[in-house]
Amino acid sequence: MAKVAREVVEKAGINVDQLVELLVKNASAELTTYYYYTILRCNLIGLEGEGIKEIAEVARIEDRNHFEALVPRIYELGGALPKDMKDFHDVSGCPPAYLPAKIETVEDILKVLVEAERCAVRQYTYICNLTAGKDHRTYDLALAILNEEIEHESWFSEFLGEGPSGHFMRRGETSPFVSKFLK
Amino acid sequence: MAPLLRNDMRTFTREELQKFDGREGRPAYVAFRGKVYDVSESFLWRGGKHQVLHQAGEDLTEAMQEAPHGEELLARFPVVGELQE
Repeated sequence: MAKVAREVVEKAGINVDQLVELLVKNASAELTTYYYYTILRCNLIGLEGEGIKEIAEVARIEDRNHFEALVPRIYELGGALPKDMKDFHDVSGCPPAYLPAKIETVEDILKVLVEAERCAVRQYTYICNLTAGKDHRTYDLALAILNEEIEHESWFSEFLGEGPSGHFMRRGETSPFVSKFLK
Repeated sequence: MAPLLRNDMRTFTREELQKFDGREGRPAYVAFRGKVYDVSESFLWRGGKHQVLHQAGEDLTEAMQEAPHGEELLARFPVVGELQE
């Protein structure tokens, strides 16, 4: 634990235990999404599915990066990951992104992907609101993740015909916002 | 999305609502703008707790103003009654 780092956050008026619990829930959401996206990606098949597979893969890898970036902050603030992976899954801040029971078109999978990203956008917006001006490091981290989650949402939203995302696909790199926390 | 209405609608006082806290297998109900929703089936209300900060059995009308989502997410759950003021 980073004792002084925790103290200054407490002194700023944040309930650090609650914040840590939120960070653990979101770390769980990221790792479980990484797992469920693996299944979704495998089921993006056919001509339409193949076109989306690579971008789903980028979102999958970046969600794993988010997990990796969140873990140090959890421990710095005196928290810990649950000992049992099953417990970790069940505290997730977002519902599991299950493969739909019935897949008729690629849209069925895209709807799961966009819902998962929208949950993440809500989660990190909330953490940013909670920590803004009070816990600079958590805010910086949550904002970096939020930037990537918003891009993921807009990619899948575009594929669903909700309008242009305004983005290109990543070009060889992943996590342009979060990578500074991974070095 | 219009709220889903159940046939067995009832009126809850705040004290009665608190009993539906989602703990120890009890149903999880929350109130919002006078309507009582059954969120027991929600993954995000497991054990009656939602995102660290909220407990089932409460009126969330004020808390919703701080939430990163609107009432459209609550509208996915059945309405089981009304909150008595």
